[in-house]
Amino acid sequence: MDEWEKIEYKPISVRNLLVEIKNLSELMLDLAYSSALFHSIELAEDVLELEKRVDTLAYLLKMNTMIAARDANDAEALLGVSIVASSANKISDAAADIAYITLREIGVHPLVREVFERVEEHLGRAEVKPGSILVRKTLDELDLAARMGVDVIAVRRRKDWILDPKEAESILEGDILIARGTAAGINELKDLAAGIMKELED
Amino acid sequence: MDKEHFERVVDALVTLKDTSELMLDLAYSSILLNSRELAREVSELEDYMDSLHTDFELLVLSSGFKPEESKDFLGLIRLGVVTEQIADAAAQIAEVVLRELEPHPVLKLAIEEAEETVTSAQVSEESILDGKTLREARIADETGMWILVIKRGKTWIRPRPSTQIRAGDTLIASGYADGEEDFERLASGTARP
Repeated sequence: MDEWEKIEYKPISVRNLLVEIKNLSELMLDLAYSSALFHSIELAEDVLELEKRVDTLAYLLKMNTMIAARDANDAEALLGVSIVASSANKISDAAADIAYITLREIGVHPLVREVFERVEEHLGRAEVKPGSILVRKTLDELDLAARMGVDVIAVRRRKDWILDPKEAESILEGDILIARGTAAGINELKDLAAGIMKELED
Repeated sequence: MDKEHFERVVDALVTLKDTSELMLDLAYSSILLNSRELAREVSELEDYMDSLHTDFELLVLSSGFKPEESKDFLGLIRLGVVTEQIADAAAQIAEVVLRELEPHPVLKLAIEEAEETVTSAQVSEESILDGKTLREARIADETGMWILVIKRGKTWIRPRPSTQIRAGDTLIASGYADGEEDFERLASGTARP
């Protein structure tokens, strides 16, 4: 059975909540399609974890918008915020539905994968092992986009997710990097993160 | 199943996925720019999605798959359903604009922060972009702005690296605010290459 997190009111700005819900829902969709098309159980599990987080944020956003509305004008003005947040939440649910295709072993016809490999950019996941040369380097220093054509779009650090990490962000041991790029570039990143490859090529 | 039929199935799926994502981009942009025009486009695309989705399901069901392949095809059907859900969510977002709910400042700020800024510019005949593919144009390298969607006459095109830009196209792009000016100059043709 799933564990249900108790929802408690926290004063967080509606704007921050909305930004996070929107960004997470978009990341989830990318992760979910990749999980189904390239049959990645790990990506699918990431999606489900993020889905729980979006649900919690959506509850918090509802409570905070309720408190913000003091009269009819406020209610009218905040309705749009609440609708957009619930739409983004719907998108995260849709992403979770895609992840279930992978997790329930339903699968997608292998020929579909071939086609998507041609048209879509790859999304991959690389776990940073101890001894990897990525450890304690900033994204700026690594310059992965120029070196191997990959772009780190998110970093999972234990329970936290850093979306769209800044150039000054350092990579730590145990981080899980979510990156977008060519298939060859993603594989190179995985080898670097795993410590199989020890040098950065220019 | 014959190869030709399968390719049609996959093409239909790619179109569904692209259309649903295009709708989402347009829907958020419609709020940001408070544009009824963009919002109306989203709701028209929703009707189009319905017919695409039906065609796709019929194609999948007429594939003549064997019982042991049914799971692989169920996966396809499910992906189709998800694109439909995304399209519905996009239509819901656009409805906020169509119902003339004044977008709350928080909404604009949130979308702006999420996507930095969104701007649109028309490509003039003098622009070096005219006739170039997006891959050749390297707009992101030059300006830091990403093309979200291209409007050509009455149609909306979701950009791919091989998409060719033509004079008269309206490019809608997002990116860092400081790239906005460069982007506009590039499209209008006043930029020095």
